[in-house]
Amino acid sequence: MPELTQSVVTLIGEFAKLPGIGRKSAERLTYHVLRVHKNEALALAEAIRAVKENVRYCSACYNLAEEELCDICKDSRRDRDVLCVVEQPRDLIALEQAGVYRGLYHVLLGRIAPLEGINPDQLTIDALVERVRSGRFKEVIMATNPTVEGDGTSLHISNLLGEFPVQITRLARGITTGSVLEFANKEILADAMSGRQKF
Amino acid sequence: MSSEKAAAIVLRAVDFSETSLVITLFTREFGKIGALAKGGRRLKGPFESALDLLALCRIVFLHKTSDTLDLLTEAKLLRRFRPPGKNLLNLYAGYYVAELLDDLTEANDPHPRLFDLADETLAALAAGEPAARRTIRFELGMLQLLGLLPSLDDCAECGNRVPAVGRIAFGLIDGGVLCPACRAGKTGVVSVHAGVLRTMSQLADAEGNAWQRLEIDPRSLGELRGVLNRYLIHLLGKKPKMHEYLGAMSS
Ligand SMILES: [Zn+2]
Ligand SMILES: [Zn+2]
Repeated sequence: MPELTQSVVTLIGEFAKLPGIGRKSAERLTYHVLRVHKNEALALAEAIRAVKENVRYCSACYNLAEEELCDICKDSRRDRDVLCVVEQPRDLIALEQAGVYRGLYHVLLGRIAPLEGINPDQLTIDALVERVRSGRFKEVIMATNPTVEGDGTSLHISNLLGEFPVQITRLARGITTGSVLEFANKEILADAMSGRQKF
Repeated sequence: MSSEKAAAIVLRAVDFSETSLVITLFTREFGKIGALAKGGRRLKGPFESALDLLALCRIVFLHKTSDTLDLLTEAKLLRRFRPPGKNLLNLYAGYYVAELLDDLTEANDPHPRLFDLADETLAALAAGEPAARRTIRFELGMLQLLGLLPSLDDCAECGNRVPAVGRIAFGLIDGGVLCPACRAGKTGVVSVHAGVLRTMSQLADAEGNAWQRLEIDPRSLGELRGVLNRYLIHLLGKKPKMHEYLGAMSS
């Protein structure tokens, strides 16, 4: 593209690296940036810079934070007897949006996936064990993804936590609300039956 | 490009975008294939969360003739891989089955009997059967079906029968037992008890269930595990990732 200047080519290239953005969209975004007022365009640049410079992991739970502790760990109204273990910050956000959980979290920053080269020591499992050892949690809720690797990760962790006087639970799973039993996959029905709870 | 149906085991599922997955499948009809599953990370849709590691499913896919990824259009879950209770060893043994299938088979090279062996092994591990024997049976059966089984009776070098008594030289590089004459001066040779070699050939026999009645004492199992590990490392040119996790199996 000889008619484009070097800066324009660079910006298109950067946009095109983003997930879900193809070449055409990258060009559209670049033309948008060229068209808008300078302040508006620089606000985007500044927002990106701020995220990279200010955001880090909470030193207690490994959620995203802008200070030593994240907003949840700092919130004195949260129930400090319950700990919910998730794979990623985005899982924590999903649970927060559901709005029913008032305890604390622990973010593993991944799952144990030996075939992908992800071993337990690359996650925040040691920190989790230390938290449970020195804390006063009564219950640890395993909320990893209900996949083979997610379940395996929970199992590995629940074995490690077995020596502490905490109750270990996991999220119920099974039939999607709004669907009908008749059409549920038999594997999903089996999960739902084994994960049944008291009325 | 044609639409095909197959029975498949999920060997790998890697996130490709927010919604799509790149899946490695071992199919009964077409061997190993790589396929793109658009929307595969969504709960609903044509895949119904069937694309989890080691799941057995019925798939429909567009088989590309060039070497680009096939396109998965449908997957119906037949069986999830979920070892019972707190059995991590069986889970890791399942991962190991996936690792060996991925590393030792070529794309688009069908091995229906190997598929059946893998399917049977995963079903047994998911049912809680002891992992150590099932794993060795799978490894040896797989080597046999792929023509990679080391020579267990005849000298790998000269072809003469090696007397099955005492301890026998086993050449990792030569791919099997060595007679005393051929053994001289060779490197990469370990010594294996004749009884262990006999057990290996019985476990490798792809026919029937006779292997299930075999009595294997813990010491022989440990020795078998050791020689098999070294042979596989030699064959693959690297240590399988799951060997670390399966360490407990050899004792
Ligand atoms: Zn925190
Ligand atoms: Zn010889």
